[in-house]
Amino acid sequence: MIGTLGGLQLVNGLASLLIITSLMVVEAKGTGRSALYYALQSFILVLIFLALAVAANAPQLFYWAGVAFVTKVVLVPLIMYRTLGRVSDPALEPRRFGIAWTIILAGVVVAGCFAVVSSIHLPSPPELKPALAVSLAHFFLGLACIVMQRNLLKQVFGYCLMENGSHLTLAIMANRAPEVVEIGIVTDAIFAVVIMAVIGTMIHSRLQTLDVRQLTSLRG
Amino acid sequence: MAPAELLIAILLVPLAAMMVAFVAQLFGGKAGPLIAEGAHVVSIVIVATIALVLAGRVIDGGNFFALGSWLYLDPLASILVALIGVVGLLTGIYSLGYIRHDLAANLISPRQLCRYYGFFNLFLFTMLWTVTANDIVMMWVGIEATTLGSAFLVGLYGQRASLEAAWKYVVICTVGVAFALYGTMLVYAEASAVLPDPHDASLWTSLVSHAASLNPGVMRLAFVFVLIGFGTKAGLFPMHAWLPDAHSEAPSPVSALLSGVLVNCALFVLLRYSAITTAATGPEFSRNLFLVFGGLSVAAASLLIFVQKDLKRLFAYSTTENMGLIVLGLGIGGPLGVAAAILQMINHSLAKTLLFCGSGNVLMKFGTRDLRSIRGMAAAAPLSGALLIAGALALCGVPPFNIFVSEFMLVTAGFRAGYGWLMVICLLLLTVTLAALLRFIGGSLLGARPANVARGEVSGFAIAPMVALLVVMLLFGVALPRPVGRLIENAARVVLQSDVTAAAHAPRPGMDQQRPDQQMSPRSSGAAEFAAVTRRAN
Repeated sequence: MIGTLGGLQLVNGLASLLIITSLMVVEAKGTGRSALYYALQSFILVLIFLALAVAANAPQLFYWAGVAFVTKVVLVPLIMYRTLGRVSDPALEPRRFGIAWTIILAGVVVAGCFAVVSSIHLPSPPELKPALAVSLAHFFLGLACIVMQRNLLKQVFGYCLMENGSHLTLAIMANRAPEVVEIGIVTDAIFAVVIMAVIGTMIHSRLQTLDVRQLTSLRG
Repeated sequence: MAPAELLIAILLVPLAAMMVAFVAQLFGGKAGPLIAEGAHVVSIVIVATIALVLAGRVIDGGNFFALGSWLYLDPLASILVALIGVVGLLTGIYSLGYIRHDLAANLISPRQLCRYYGFFNLFLFTMLWTVTANDIVMMWVGIEATTLGSAFLVGLYGQRASLEAAWKYVVICTVGVAFALYGTMLVYAEASAVLPDPHDASLWTSLVSHAASLNPGVMRLAFVFVLIGFGTKAGLFPMHAWLPDAHSEAPSPVSALLSGVLVNCALFVLLRYSAITTAATGPEFSRNLFLVFGGLSVAAASLLIFVQKDLKRLFAYSTTENMGLIVLGLGIGGPLGVAAAILQMINHSLAKTLLFCGSGNVLMKFGTRDLRSIRGMAAAAPLSGALLIAGALALCGVPPFNIFVSEFMLVTAGFRAGYGWLMVICLLLLTVTLAALLRFIGGSLLGARPANVARGEVSGFAIAPMVALLVVMLLFGVALPRPVGRLIENAARVVLQSDVTAAAHAPRPGMDQQRPDQQMSPRSSGAAEFAAVTRRAN
């Protein structure tokens, strides 16, 4: 049985792994690998939910863990792999210089989120502030991925990262919400990923590119 | 039927129509499109009827709950439900002519036609879900679902530009609305620690009645997240980037829905949060943010309108400008400022629906949205041209049309509240818009008809909704019906939370109660001020 304090430290430790898996998702070569790393990250999220369920005495998080396993570890990666696995644009593979900058950016974002979360009053357990900071950083890393990546499909993964970040925040701050609320949020997220994937594939088949800089017919 | 049953029915009907339309894809020949159109017509007529009946019940003095406390209809929600019902009906009828034209021109296939009506009804359902939800998380889910439901409508034609617009629409709105989820979570987490029953922490009626106990610092942070998130969906500057693309590339009746009701749904959720934040932190914080975002939206959009060469982008930027005006009204505050904002929301919805439907007629006639190629619309199709001229003049804020009344109220509220300098700048910016719209009337609607464009109207389906809209706009401009005025006054009270105790006594789950005590007293100062200014404007 995990002690309360030990359990919360485990949550914080696992949360830090999310950042590492985020970098793997962003920098992986090929959509298939990104989907695999996303499944790994989601599995870590499931473990966090389980640890939090025990440590924070929140049994409903067992249910959340089950929903997250089915949807995020299995369903979404499978959809991404099946829909986008064959779609690629070799001109847009990440370069080494880009990877270095990604790591630096991640460090800055994480440090900034720690500074913000530790300096303001938030309605969450103080022991979980590191995990809360990581979840916020994860959200902003996903946002940075969407803003900075030229690859349409990487932008979809950027949204997935944002969504995992906000899901962890939800588990820390609002784990007593009714189950239907969690189902609503997860369902929306899955549909968002599916619709982005479908439109991304349609763009690729029509324009023969995944480069967002080619999407310039609408201006002004 | 009891109001609670009507509330459930208004959600189920478009869902059922959506399923029928999607199944109709499987039928070959003419059967599929006919089945989809039939289900669509039944749905929009029933939804509009229920919406107006529900609004009538609320005017008669009642707030209603359904599905326990999950659904809630008060004066503010009933205005949105009525708008969705009416605009849904008119754009739904308009679609019949417009989409058949697209089918005849081979722009879409019969299967796409079925899908169009399926997604159209899904879009109606998601908007109705958003404005009838009492749970703040479900409001978020609803707003997110509106994006997902309408993305395929924006990209219906599958062309390069429409796919690009659909992509930007989904990515920008989904990311923006993700910010709002953080705001929602902050409010829920704070409330679950404060409310006597944590299970009520996500119910708006409970939140607003206990708002004074919520931590002001957390509520300010939450409101910033919520404003960025739902402000993106409302098309406020600088988060508006998706709006001109989606509005211009979507089929015209969908553009009308996006501009006429979708952005209002996002504003509605902002109003819900504004009520909680005002009660928790005092009015200054949310008002100041509204003034900043409203002012920036009006300024940026007015200048961008002037340089547009695309008819639908011109109207789209006007949407951002009008959202800015509405938010400015909320920033000015007080019964008059908020009532003016709500009236502007209704008036803009009607006018913009007319204009986007009119842009569809231009497209069917000229085959282009390029303002440099559109000449003599009034000569080519006199009735469509006249309706477009009336709509454009209404958007200019010219009497006797409805927008004049709400803009007059808004400016009066601004001067009375001590924002004279801001109102002067606003009026100057509105002059720029006026110039752009007059140039549109003179350059594209008037003048000689090009030789290659045949004289004659488009289908009756495309004219009748516009005529109906113009009649309502004139009615609201000349003499705002008293029940509508009363509904707006009471909606303003909901936003201002001048009677927080009313919500504190909200019924418990499963109850369906009428609350005449929540009505604004005819003798209250806000009501008198509202009545006096609308009389003067009329």
